[in-house]
Amino acid sequence: MKNTVQNAQLTAQNAELPMAAGENGNDLAQIEPKKLTLDEVRAKLANQKGKKFWRSVDELADEPEFAELVNKEFPSQASEWIDPVSRRSFLKVMGASMALAGLAGCTKQPDEPIYPYVTAPSDLILGKPAYFASAFPFTTGAVPVLIKSAAYRPIKVDGNPEHPYTRGGSDPITQATLLDMYDPDRSQHVLYRGETRPWVSFLGAFRAMLADKKASGGQGVYFLSATVTSPTLARQWQEGKKNYPQAKFVQYDPVNRDNHYAAAKQAFGDYVDTQYRLDQADVIVSLDADFLGGVQFPGFHQLARDYAGKRKLQGTLQMNRLYVVEPVTTLTGFKAEHRLAVPPSRMAAFAQALAAALGTGSAQGGGWSDHEATFLQGVAADLRASAGKCVVIPGEFAPPEVHLAAFAMNQALGNVGKTVAYSEPVNPMPSIQTDDLRSLVADMNAGKVDWLVILNANPVYTVPADLDFETAMSRVGTVVHLGSHVDETAQTSHWHINNAHYLEMWSDARSYDGTVSIVQPMIEPLYGGRNAHEIVQSLLDNPDVSAYDAVRATWMGNGAPLAKGGAQPQAAGNAANGSANNVATGGDAEFRWRKVLHDGWIANTAFTPKNVTAKAGATAGQPARQSSGNALEIAFRPDANVYDGRFANVGWMQEIPRPITNLAWDNAAQMSYATMEKLGLQEDDEVEIALNGKKISAGALAVPGQADGVVVVTLGQGRRIGRVAGGVGYNAYLIRPSTAPWSQTGGSLRKTGGIYDICVTKSHHIDQRAPFAGGPGEGTHSLEGDESLDRGIIRYATLTEYRNNPEFAHEGVARWTPEPGESMFPAYRYDKNAWGMSIDLNSCVGCNACIAACYAENNIPVVGRLQAKIGRIMQWIRIDTYFEGDLSAPRAHYQPMTCHQCENAPCEQVCPVGATVHSPEGLNMMVYNRCVGTRYCSNNCPYKVRRFNFLLYSDYDTPSLALMRNPEVSVRSRGVMEKCSYCVQRIEAVKIEADKDNRPIRDGEIRTACQQACPTSAIVFGNINDKTSEVAKLKTEIRTYGVLADINTRPRTTYVAGVLNVNEELAKALGEYAT
Amino acid sequence: MPQIFDRSSNALARMSLILTGLLIIALGLTLDELQRSPWVTRQGQRADQPVPFSHKHHVEGLGLQCQYCHTSVEESSYAGIPPTKTCMNCHAQIWTDAQLLEPVRHSWATGESITWTRVHDLPDYVFFNHEIHVNKGIGCSTCHGRVDEMPIMYMQNSLQMEWCLNCHRNPAKNLRPTSEIYNMAWKGASELNPVWCASADVKTGTPTAESVTCTEANPDLKGGVQMASLSQALPGLHPQTAGTLIGSENTGPVLLPAGLHYTKFTNQEALGNFLLQHYDIRNPRELTSCEVCHR
Repeated sequence: MKNTVQNAQLTAQNAELPMAAGENGNDLAQIEPKKLTLDEVRAKLANQKGKKFWRSVDELADEPEFAELVNKEFPSQASEWIDPVSRRSFLKVMGASMALAGLAGCTKQPDEPIYPYVTAPSDLILGKPAYFASAFPFTTGAVPVLIKSAAYRPIKVDGNPEHPYTRGGSDPITQATLLDMYDPDRSQHVLYRGETRPWVSFLGAFRAMLADKKASGGQGVYFLSATVTSPTLARQWQEGKKNYPQAKFVQYDPVNRDNHYAAAKQAFGDYVDTQYRLDQADVIVSLDADFLGGVQFPGFHQLARDYAGKRKLQGTLQMNRLYVVEPVTTLTGFKAEHRLAVPPSRMAAFAQALAAALGTGSAQGGGWSDHEATFLQGVAADLRASAGKCVVIPGEFAPPEVHLAAFAMNQALGNVGKTVAYSEPVNPMPSIQTDDLRSLVADMNAGKVDWLVILNANPVYTVPADLDFETAMSRVGTVVHLGSHVDETAQTSHWHINNAHYLEMWSDARSYDGTVSIVQPMIEPLYGGRNAHEIVQSLLDNPDVSAYDAVRATWMGNGAPLAKGGAQPQAAGNAANGSANNVATGGDAEFRWRKVLHDGWIANTAFTPKNVTAKAGATAGQPARQSSGNALEIAFRPDANVYDGRFANVGWMQEIPRPITNLAWDNAAQMSYATMEKLGLQEDDEVEIALNGKKISAGALAVPGQADGVVVVTLGQGRRIGRVAGGVGYNAYLIRPSTAPWSQTGGSLRKTGGIYDICVTKSHHIDQRAPFAGGPGEGTHSLEGDESLDRGIIRYATLTEYRNNPEFAHEGVARWTPEPGESMFPAYRYDKNAWGMSIDLNSCVGCNACIAACYAENNIPVVGRLQAKIGRIMQWIRIDTYFEGDLSAPRAHYQPMTCHQCENAPCEQVCPVGATVHSPEGLNMMVYNRCVGTRYCSNNCPYKVRRFNFLLYSDYDTPSLALMRNPEVSVRSRGVMEKCSYCVQRIEAVKIEADKDNRPIRDGEIRTACQQACPTSAIVFGNINDKTSEVAKLKTEIRTYGVLADINTRPRTTYVAGVLNVNEELAKALGEYAT
Repeated sequence: MPQIFDRSSNALARMSLILTGLLIIALGLTLDELQRSPWVTRQGQRADQPVPFSHKHHVEGLGLQCQYCHTSVEESSYAGIPPTKTCMNCHAQIWTDAQLLEPVRHSWATGESITWTRVHDLPDYVFFNHEIHVNKGIGCSTCHGRVDEMPIMYMQNSLQMEWCLNCHRNPAKNLRPTSEIYNMAWKGASELNPVWCASADVKTGTPTAESVTCTEANPDLKGGVQMASLSQALPGLHPQTAGTLIGSENTGPVLLPAGLHYTKFTNQEALGNFLLQHYDIRNPRELTSCEVCHR
C-alpha cells in the first residue's frame, strides 16, 4: 500500500501524460500498445482443431509488440528502480547496509514491551480467536457473516455457516469490508466547515433546528440516504415522520433496483421481490442477470450455491442448463451453455419476443438475425419442455420491460410457486429512487430545502451529472453529511459526521430470504463514529435512544426488561412482520434475545411467498430495433470490485483483477473486438466518450463476447479522494444520464491520439523453455498461453460426451499421469496426513471470493498500480480465465490456480538455501527467514504461483492496518518469495487441537480460507490418506485431473473437469460445440 | 634494477596469507560465538522492569501456582501476563503502601497498563504454542528454568532454534508426567527417585494425559497412592506445590482404581519413551518440520 500514493498521483496524470511514470527512471510503464490484427487471429483460431483455448488475443496475434510486452514483464527484469529512491541514493544506502551485513545476524532484537490488561475480560483467551455473528448490510440484502476476532479486533469476515442464506460462503466485497473498516483514510472527526467539532455541538444545532421546525411539521427538512436496509431505521423514520409530517426522506443509490421495482409496481401493483429457487430449476434463462457475478445481484450467495449444487454430478447425470442473453460479458454469461450477446437497446425486444414465443404477450417481430432467431426459438422450446422446472431471471440493469416479460414468462410456464416466489421486498422502504432524487434536486434548486441530511451517500460524486447535484447543494441552507470518508460530498457540506462502520455499530438488516440479521459491533468505533440511527432518532420523542436500544425495541418491543409474554412489537410499515417476528413473545425473552445475538439472526423471519399474479398484458410490445446507424450505445455497469465507488479506497478491491477483463487499478472503455476494429481503435488507445454533450476520456479495452456497437463504462472510479482511490481511472458518473442510467444510444467515441496505459494483469509469466522442452525458445509468450493451447490445462466435455466416454479427462495429448515410482528423486513417505485439494471447475463461477479471502487470511500486501501492471501482484490464488472459440462469441473457463503443493516439487530442488522444503504431510513449505531471494524456485515452477516481494510491499507503518493483520501469519518483507501455504496456520491450529484430544483430524475440520469463502463449495480440502474424506473421494472421481501432471510433478491440487449440459439441437442449429 | 623484495620476504608473504586465513576463520568463529552469546540472546540478563517482581518470593515463598497468573497456558498459544487486577487481588490488602508497588497502584487507579519488558521474546517469525507443550508433558521449568529461584526474571535458555531443535529431535529426554508440569524441581526419573507409571486403555478422543497416571510413591505399598493426572476434578490445577521436593508430602492421597499395572522407571530415557508412546507425541520428523514453528 505504500506505493499506491505515488501510483495514484501517476495515474492522475494518465489522461494527458501517460508516460509520466518514466521520470522515475522506469521504462516499464512505457510498454508499447499492442496491435490487433484480427484476421490473423481468426486464421490462427480457424486452424486449431478440437478444443483449443487461449488466454489473450494479443498472444494469438503473435505480434512483436506483444513479445516485447511479455519480455519486459516478470520475471526477467528486476533491475529497474520503481521507488523514488534514486540509483545514487540507493547505492549509498546499500553501502551502509553492506557494511552491516556481516553483523546483521548478530544484531539484537529490540526490547519488546508487554501491555497487560488492567482488568481482563472474562471470556477472552489471548491467542485464541473468538467468533461473533453479525451481518454486512448491503443494498442488495444483508450478508450474514461470522467475524473472526483476535483480542477483539476483527481480522476476518466470512459468511455465517449456520445461516440458511450464506451457509458460510461469501464474496469479494464482503471479504473486503474488513479492510474498509481499517482504511486509514476514514474520517475521524465531526467537522463543521472543515473544523473539528464535538458530536454534541452537531446534535445541539440539529435538535435546535428540529425544535424550530416542529411547528411547520418539518418543512424544509430533507434526508437523502443510501438505500435503507435496516428495518429499525425504517421504523425510526416512520415514527419520526409522525412528528415531522412535512419532512422528506429520499433514498438514492447509483446502483439501485428501480427497473425491478418499476416493473413490479406495474405488474403486481406493489413493490415485490422475486426469489428464485435454482435448486428446483433444470433450465435457467438469464436476461442480462449476472446472478453468479457477486453480491451486486440480490441473492447471489444462495443463487450461486443452488446453481452449482445442480452441477456437481455426484452419483447422478442430471444437471441444469443455463442460457444467458446479455449485452455485457459477465461471469454468468461465460458459465452459460449457450450465450447470446444482444445490445442493451434490444434486450427488451428480445425478452418480449421470447415471451411471445412462449405464448404470452406480443412482440413486434422482425430485425432478428438467423442466429438470434434460432437461439430464441431454441431457448423457448427448452423452456416449454421444462415448464415448472425452469426459471427466467431478469437482470437489475435490464429495462422494466424485460422484468415484465420475465414475470409473464414465469407465470405462463407455471414456475411461480415452484422455482419462483414473490415476497415482501428486502428493503423496508422500497422506492423508485431516481424519480425521488429528481424531485429532491428540483426542491433544492427551488430553495425549498433548508436542511439536507445526507446519510451514507456521496451524491456529489454519484448523482448523474445532468442533475448537477453540487450546484443544487449550494442552494441548501445547511447540508449535513454522514459518511465514512471526507469525500466529494463531505468537502462541500457544512457538517460532516464520521460514520461508524458496520463492524462498529448496532443495526439490523434482512437478507435475500427475508431473515432478519442483527448487525453487532465487533470493536469500539476506531474513531468514535456515529450512525444513521442516532441521527434519525432525534426526530422521535425520545431522541437519546442508542442504536442498540432502537434495534432491540424493533424486535423486542419497548419494555426494557422484558416481562414474560413480552411487549407488542412495534410493527412499522413492513419493518417488523407481525408478532411472528417478535423475539419477545412468550417464554424467556431475554434468553432468546441473547440467542439471537449469538446466532446473528432471528429465526422464522424469512418471508413467506406472497400470492400475487402478474397483470395480463403488462408486456407491451416494443419495436425490436431502435434507431441504430453508427451511434454507439453506452452501457453503464457497477465495477465488479469497487461497486459504485464506495469500495474504491479499499486496496484489495482495486488490486484484485476484475473477472474476465483482468483490469486492476483501472477502468476502461470496454468494447468488442469488432467494434474496436470498426472504430479504428487499438487496445490502450485513449478515447473520448461523449454522451449528451458530456465527455470523459478512457482507455480502450477489448472484451471477448461483448455485444457489438456497445461501449461499457464502469462506475466507481475517478474518485477525487483517498490514498488508494484518488485518481484511479475515470469517473463514469460524469456522462451518466439520469433518464437512462444503464444504457443509452447516441454516444460517440473519438480517438484522441494519446495512449492510455490500461492496467491489465494477464499474461504474467514468460515461457523461457527451449524448443525441446516444449517452449518457443525465445521467451516471447506467456506460459499459460502456450500451455493452454495443447497441454490440456482445461478439460471439459459435454454431457453426452461424458456419458459416452467418462474417461475424457485422461485421453489425448499430455493427459497421462506418470506412475508414482517414475522419478529420479526418492519418493516421500506420508504416514499420517497428506493434504490435498480438489477444485470443481463445474462449480467455480470465477467470482474472486477466494482471492479476497486469501488476502485477508494471509496478510497479502497490496502492491499498487505500477507493480500490478508489471506482473508483481502478490495474490496467492488467481483465477485464470481461458477463452475458447471465436472472438465474438467465445466461451470461457475459469480455473483457480494456487500452489499445487507438488509431491515432486520443482521449486524445492533448486532452492540453494533450503528455504522451500517438503513437509512430512506433503506441503511445500516456504521459510521466509531463510529465503535470500534468488527466485530460482519461481522460475522453476510450472504453475507460476510463486510471488516475490520485489519491493517492501507490506505496510509496517500504518497503525490501523497493523490491527487488521492475521497474527498467525508472518508479514513478509522485501526480497522474500511467498506462495500459497494451504493455510498452514489453520492446519497447525487444528493439529494442536486434535493432538490435545488424542484423535485424528476429522474430515472437514481444516478449511482453507479460499474453501471457506467459496460460495459454491468448488474447493474441497482434506487428508487424501484418509480414504473416506471428501477430498480423497473427489480424487478418485473419474473426471479428476492434474494440470501439467504429465511432467510428473504429482500435484496435490487437482481439478474436476467441467461438464456442460449442452442443448444438442440448439448447438447443432447454431454450429456451436462442433469438434 | 634490483628486486625490491628479498627472497626472504616470500616467507612473510606466505605467513601473511596463512594469517589472513586464520583471521578470517577466527572472525567467523567469533561471530559464531557472538551469535550464541548472551549478549545477543539475552540469556541470563535481567531486564529493567517497572516492578521488581520476584517469582522466587511468589512461587517458592508463597506457593502461588503458575496458572494463578499465567491463566491461558493450557488452552492457548500464549500463557498470558496477569492483568493488574491479579496483582491487586492481594495487594489491595497487603503491602498497600509499598513504594515498589506504586506502578501497580498507578495502573489500577488510572487504567493504564503496567509496561513490562518481555523477557522471553521470540522473533516474530516464530510461532510458539504453550498449550501443546504443556498438554504433552513439557514442564515449565524445561524451558524457563527454575523460575521459583529467580528473584528477578531472566531467560535461562537461549531459546535459539538449535536449542528448540535439541528437544524436537528427541523429545523423550524432557518428557515428564503431565501431573508434574508445574513442578519446578522435577529432575526426571532416576534410581533415587523412581517414577511409577500406568496406562489405562487409550481411547481416541480423550486427552492422552487422562489415560496415563504416574506417581512418585510406590503404588505397591499400602496406604494408597497419590493420583496425578489431568483428569482430576480440577483439570490442569494439580495438587503440587512448586518448590517442594520430590517425594515430599503433597496434597492428600487419592485412591487409584485397582487393577492398573504400574511400571517402575529409574531413568529418564525409559520414562520419556514410555510417555512418548502414551502421550502420542509426533515423531521427530514431524516435529522438526518447518511449518511447526514458521508460517
